[in-house]
Amino acid sequence: MSIKGGYFKKGLHIDLGTGNADSWDIPDSFIEKYIGGRGFGAKLVWDNLKKHDFQINPLGPENLMVVAPGPLTGIYLPSSGKCSFVAISPATGLYGDSSVGGSFGIELRQTGIDILSIAGKASELSVIFIDNSRAKIIPMPELKGKSCLETEGIIREHLDTTSAHIAVIGPAGENMVKFACVNADWGRQAGRTGFGAIMGSKKLKAIVVRGHQDLPVHDVSGLMEEADKAYKYLKEHKYFRMWQQEGLMNVVEYANEKGILPAYNFKDTIFARHKQINGGAMLADYKIGDSACFSCSMCCGNICLVKSGKYMGTVVEGPEYETCAMLGSNLGIDNFAAILSANRQCDELGIDTISTGNIIGAVIEGYEKGILSLSDLDGSDISWGNEDAILELISKIAYRQGIGNIIAGGAHHVIKKWPEMDKILLQVKGLEQSAYDSRPGGSMALAYATSDIGAHHSRAWTIAKEMEEGQNWSDEEKIEIVIYHQKLRPLFDMLGVCRLPWIELGLNEKHYENFYRYVTGNQMLLEQLLDLSDSVFNLTRLINIRLGMNRKDDSIPYKVWANPPLSGPNAGRIIDQNNFQELLSLYYMKRGWDQNGLPQVKVENSFND
Amino acid sequence: MPERLAVIPELCSGCRICEVACAIKHFGLNNPKKAAIRVVLAYPHPVMRMPIVCCQCKVPVCAKVCPTDALRRNNGIVSLSEEDCISCLKCVEACPFGAIYAHEDCDLPIKCDMCSGDPECVKKCPLGALRLIPEDTIGESKRINNILSYTQMKEIEFYERGEKKIIHYAEIGKEEL
Repeated sequence: MSIKGGYFKKGLHIDLGTGNADSWDIPDSFIEKYIGGRGFGAKLVWDNLKKHDFQINPLGPENLMVVAPGPLTGIYLPSSGKCSFVAISPATGLYGDSSVGGSFGIELRQTGIDILSIAGKASELSVIFIDNSRAKIIPMPELKGKSCLETEGIIREHLDTTSAHIAVIGPAGENMVKFACVNADWGRQAGRTGFGAIMGSKKLKAIVVRGHQDLPVHDVSGLMEEADKAYKYLKEHKYFRMWQQEGLMNVVEYANEKGILPAYNFKDTIFARHKQINGGAMLADYKIGDSACFSCSMCCGNICLVKSGKYMGTVVEGPEYETCAMLGSNLGIDNFAAILSANRQCDELGIDTISTGNIIGAVIEGYEKGILSLSDLDGSDISWGNEDAILELISKIAYRQGIGNIIAGGAHHVIKKWPEMDKILLQVKGLEQSAYDSRPGGSMALAYATSDIGAHHSRAWTIAKEMEEGQNWSDEEKIEIVIYHQKLRPLFDMLGVCRLPWIELGLNEKHYENFYRYVTGNQMLLEQLLDLSDSVFNLTRLINIRLGMNRKDDSIPYKVWANPPLSGPNAGRIIDQNNFQELLSLYYMKRGWDQNGLPQVKVENSFND
Repeated sequence: MPERLAVIPELCSGCRICEVACAIKHFGLNNPKKAAIRVVLAYPHPVMRMPIVCCQCKVPVCAKVCPTDALRRNNGIVSLSEEDCISCLKCVEACPFGAIYAHEDCDLPIKCDMCSGDPECVKKCPLGALRLIPEDTIGESKRINNILSYTQMKEIEFYERGEKKIIHYAEIGKEEL
């Protein structure tokens, strides 16, 4: 047996319908093949799909939601605070996952389980409380309609615990807004692909975990030495202090300079007033503290306070780049305090800031272009930078009022209602695009198009590399880097660690091979781990194919091939649709998929054990 | 000369590296729940992250309530005698800061021993929120901060021969003149 640490080898399955909580033993073969986190989730979701003959309503009781940290979650090594949520996404109807930082995943592991899976639907609004491997389902209908932060406070009081960690949904989740998120540890979110809506559909308001068990580590002294080396490397990096201070907010300036910052719903990719919403603006007037996930020395999180003016007193954990770009420049907002207020509102209501900013941007442009009428907007004369109207719309989405009810259905629903919006709304597979423009970078367009969850940057964020050194890349080179990222980045999600030390400060990925070996005792080379990660990528691909996806869903948004950015360094650039199709064909070939994007039959068979 | 472990909560990010480092050092276990230091988050405003660790009080309440005299202060460190402790956990309840911890796996309460004067948490804190400082300098930064806020000091940045400099100045309102 080669797994000597890293796992409790226990899973917990909770059926909210019957109220049963069953513990099960995870076989070694399962652990070795799927590693953890998103790998565990994908396999369980696949098995569940087969059980239901691939007929699953994402918001039905049959949709299995998996919460899985990885073998490195909570271990003494840089940024080990990640925990994956995996299920069939209500936003795309396909495979979905999202990871949350903070300390929720660590606490979940300390209850002595590696996988929490939740199915069924409770009869009334409930809370799952896992207290050191004793699981209880507690009906708490009094939490109905309560905001995320308030809910967390009430639950702590009710269960009389300050040390528990809690993942909650807000009103948006209860109302099954397709891009509702799960909020944990006050200000950390599993934001994308609609996990708030899934929890809402199960009438599950919160997951509360409290544990105190030792996390099994095979070789503690080896691990210490390796981790200290990695911490030391990070500490000595010339940008380390800048990351601690600005966190992801430093990207605003970078993205503007490179011309990939969304402005006015991606009409433009530079923002004239970027200085008002960048990291410098935050440091000067708003930041009051740092916030880090578990064991992270980079502490990319910020805590901000608005000290004067209309939004005085707004405290929020954030913003980070995506939020600031999507709710700021993308909506023409140059008032940092208003962005903080919108961020806080999204956190309270429990909706994803990326999707919210993207879709509101499209609504504003749709109104500007006459696709939406004033009565469609319930008489609200929304325009670029109109803070009040935008803040009101955010709340209407969460409570499904008026036009908010249509937007709450997500990108697919908006396009179904107003087909012309397809030319304006940037989305892939029904997931609204994140805040990096892909028009100047063929590899980024390919990354969005082929990402298993839709237009999210987490699978392959190749834009920076391509902007810096890839202007003359051949198609092969673009594909190579996309595939490499699609192997490595999901590996981080499987191990339960954050990718930032690697992508931003260049921490050598070889460290993770060593971390994995010291923790689990399993001798694996990085290449072997990457192969396992690749196999999970194939698995999620299969899930999507079996749920009806095909080549046309690996698409690029209309704007990306039809409307170039108006100004900035990338003015006039688009991705040619024919070139893109060639790129995609070549990508399929390199992946070993057929020209419809289908993996080989033997690949599918390998998941049927 | 004994130094004190000082906590600067304003600098704490809540990463909990101190917790794991402490537990690994003392127990060889990756379990933040076995650490003698914990980072507590304050609600309703998730602003304050407060590392709570023994202050090594000169008049230790924990020692006062200890029925077997197992807690004694030597050389600036309140240490727990393994032989004398009966693990009644009275000290855990009595500490005004809640800075002594208990765990069901552990026979004794978990109390900071300052790693014999070279605390692991101080070495590992990435933000300098935990520091080892001589007793007579405790409170210095608070005093300075107070002065700055009392006199409404402002600062201005300028460049002199290519070097960035900062001047602090007090702004006096016109109505006060």
